[in-house]
Amino acid sequence: MLKPHEMSSVIITGPNSELEAVIKEMHDMGVLHIVEHSKNELADTGKPLDSAGRLSETLVKIRALTAALSIRQEENRFELKKGLPEIESNVRKIGNELGALNDELKKTEELVSKNDAVRQELEILKGLNIPLENFTSYKSLACFMGCINEKNFRHMNGELSKTTKNFLIFKSGEKRKFIALFIDSKNREDAGSILNKNGFSQLNFSNIGGFKGTAMSNLKRTGEENARLQRKRAEIKNSVEKLANGHKAFLAAADKFLSIQLEKAEAPLQFASTPSSFLIKGWIPSGQLNSSIERLNKAAKNMIFVHFEPAKAHDKVPVKLKNPKYAKSFEFFIDLYSMPTYREIDPTFFIFLTFPIFFGIMLGDVGYGITSLLIFWLLKKKMPKAGGFFNILMLASFVSMLFGFLYGEFFGYEFIHPVISREHEMFTLMYMAIAIGIVHVNLGLAIGFINELKSHGLMKAVYEKLSWIILEIGAALLALSYFGKISISPLIGAVFLGLSILMLFKGEGVKGLMELPSIFTNILSYARLMAIGLSSVVLAVIINDSAKEFFHQGGFFVLIGVLILVVGHIINIMLGLLGSFLHSLRLHYVEFFSKFFHGGAKKYQPFGMKED
Amino acid sequence: MVDISTGLVAMASGLAIGLSAIAAAIAEKEIGVAAVGAMAEKEELFGKGLVLTVIPETIVIFGLVVAILILNLAKGG
Repeated sequence: MLKPHEMSSVIITGPNSELEAVIKEMHDMGVLHIVEHSKNELADTGKPLDSAGRLSETLVKIRALTAALSIRQEENRFELKKGLPEIESNVRKIGNELGALNDELKKTEELVSKNDAVRQELEILKGLNIPLENFTSYKSLACFMGCINEKNFRHMNGELSKTTKNFLIFKSGEKRKFIALFIDSKNREDAGSILNKNGFSQLNFSNIGGFKGTAMSNLKRTGEENARLQRKRAEIKNSVEKLANGHKAFLAAADKFLSIQLEKAEAPLQFASTPSSFLIKGWIPSGQLNSSIERLNKAAKNMIFVHFEPAKAHDKVPVKLKNPKYAKSFEFFIDLYSMPTYREIDPTFFIFLTFPIFFGIMLGDVGYGITSLLIFWLLKKKMPKAGGFFNILMLASFVSMLFGFLYGEFFGYEFIHPVISREHEMFTLMYMAIAIGIVHVNLGLAIGFINELKSHGLMKAVYEKLSWIILEIGAALLALSYFGKISISPLIGAVFLGLSILMLFKGEGVKGLMELPSIFTNILSYARLMAIGLSSVVLAVIINDSAKEFFHQGGFFVLIGVLILVVGHIINIMLGLLGSFLHSLRLHYVEFFSKFFHGGAKKYQPFGMKED
Repeated sequence: MVDISTGLVAMASGLAIGLSAIAAAIAEKEIGVAAVGAMAEKEELFGKGLVLTVIPETIVIFGLVVAILILNLAKGG
C-alpha cells in the first residue's frame, strides 16, 4: 500500500556456453525485468540464438496460413508432441494442401469468367436462328454484325438497296436492333460507309469461333457447364474451410509455442555480450531475489556470477504497484494515467477511498444504483478479462445506492424522507461539495509534501507545498474577517497571504505566482459533485412527471407512460453513469494528482511473464 | 404572469449557464481534436487526453454556480 514493491538491481554474467540455460530458467521464473543494453565501446549487444532464424521463418509461415485460412485466435488445448520438427513438417503439409487448392480455385475461376464471356455473346446472337458456323468468313460474301437503331435501320436498308440487290439481313430485337448483314464482297466498302453513316456499331464475337449449332443450343450447353463450374468452386471453398477447421487448433498452439521460443531466442539482443561471455542487467523484486539467484545458479551449474544491490537514489526503477487485494482493481486508473516513480507515493489506495464516494454523490439514486450494479455484474460475467474495471464500477454503483438512501431517491421518486434533498437543498449540497474539495485538495498537498520531503528535503517541501496550505488559510481568514464572521483584523489574513506568496515565489518562481488562482478554481471545481447530481435528479423528475400525466389519462395512454419511463430512465442512467465516471475520474486526475503526482516510470514487465 | 424583473432574473441566470456552456464547448472542441490526433499516434495517451479534454468543463460548473447564486439573490431580494 502507498509504496510499490521493493526492487533490487541485478547483474548476471557468465560464459556463452551457459547462455541458453540461463535464458530458459529466467523465462520459467518470470521475475526479471530486463534493462536493454545499448551498444557501446565496451560491449556489443548479443546475437540471437542459432534457432532464431528457423523459428521466425516457421512463425511467419504459420501466421500467413492463419491469415489465408482466416482463422481467429481462440483458446484451445492442442498438444504439441515433438516441438519444432513436428510443427515444420505439419506447416509444410498444410501449406502444400492449401497451395494446391488455391491453384485449382484459380483455374476454375478463370474458366468461369471465360464461360461468362461466351454466354454474353451467345445472348446477343440467340434471336437470330442461324447456325453459328455460318458466321465464318466467305470468299464472295462480306459479313457485318452489330447494333443499330430502328429508324436508322430503315434508312440504311433503303440506301443498301440502291447500291446492290445481293444482300441478306437477319435481325432481332425491337428498338435497338441487332443485325447480321451478308453482302456481296464487291460491295464491302460501300456497305461499310453506309453502315457508318447510319450509326451502326460493330460487335466482335471473338469467343465463339469454332462453335457449331444455333446460339440457343450452345447457350443451353454452356449453362450446364457454368453450373458444373460453380459446383466445383463451392467444393474447393468447402475443402479450404475443412482444412482450416482441421488445423485450427494446431496452428494456434504452434503460434503460441513458437512465439515463446522466439522470445527466448531473441532475448540476447537485449544483453551485453563479448565474444565469449554475456552480461544481463535487470530488476527483481527484493522478496524473490534469493530464490531467483539460487535457481539461476543451479540452472547454470554455478558457472555464472550474480551481482545484486538495492535501488540507488537516481536509478530508473521499473515499478510494480503493491496494493491490498480490495484496492488492486483501482490500479487500472494509474495504468491509464502514468506509473508513479519508484520513490513516489502510489495513490491507488486514495483513489480506492474517494472514487466510489464521488461517483456515489453524483449518481446517488437507489434505483439507478441497483440497475447499474446488475448491469456491471452481468458484464463482468460476460467479460472476465475486464473484471477489474467492472469491480470498480460495481463498488461505485453500490456506494451510489447508499447515497440514494441519503437523498431518499428511487428513480428520481422520493420514496423516503431524505436526510438531504438534492432537488431542494442545492446550497447545502454545494457547500458540502466544496468542503469535500478542500479536504481532497489538501490531502493531495499533504501527499505532495511527503513526496518532496523524501526527494528534495524539508525546505523545498515547505516552499512548494506547505505554502499553498498557508495561502488557503490566509484567504479564509481574510474573507471571514472581512465579512465580520470572526473578530480579528483582516491584516492577519493578509500577512498569511503575503507570506505564502513569497514562499511560493521562492519555491516555484514566477510559474508559481501565475498559478496562484488555480488552487481556488480547483476547490470550486468540486461543485460539480452537486451539479452533476442535480442535473441527473432534475431529468429523472421530469421523466416521472411527464409519465404521470399520461397515467392520469388512463387507457391506452398508460402504455405511452410506461414507454416514457423506461426509455427516459435508460437514457438518464447512461448519461448519469458516463458523467459520474468521467467527472469523478477527472477530479482525481486534474485536481488531486496535480498536487503531488509526477509519474512517468516504467511498468515492471518481467521476462517470460505469462499473460493472465 | 410573472413580472418583468422575475423574467430578467431568469434570463440572467440562463445566460450565465448558456454562455459558459458555449465557451466550454469551444474550448473542448479544440482540445478533443488534438487529443484524438495524439491518440491515433500513441494509444497510451488516452488517460492524459481524457484529462485535458475535460479540463474546460469547470467553466460550465462555474456558470451553474453563478446561475444558482443569481436565482437565490433574486429570491432573497
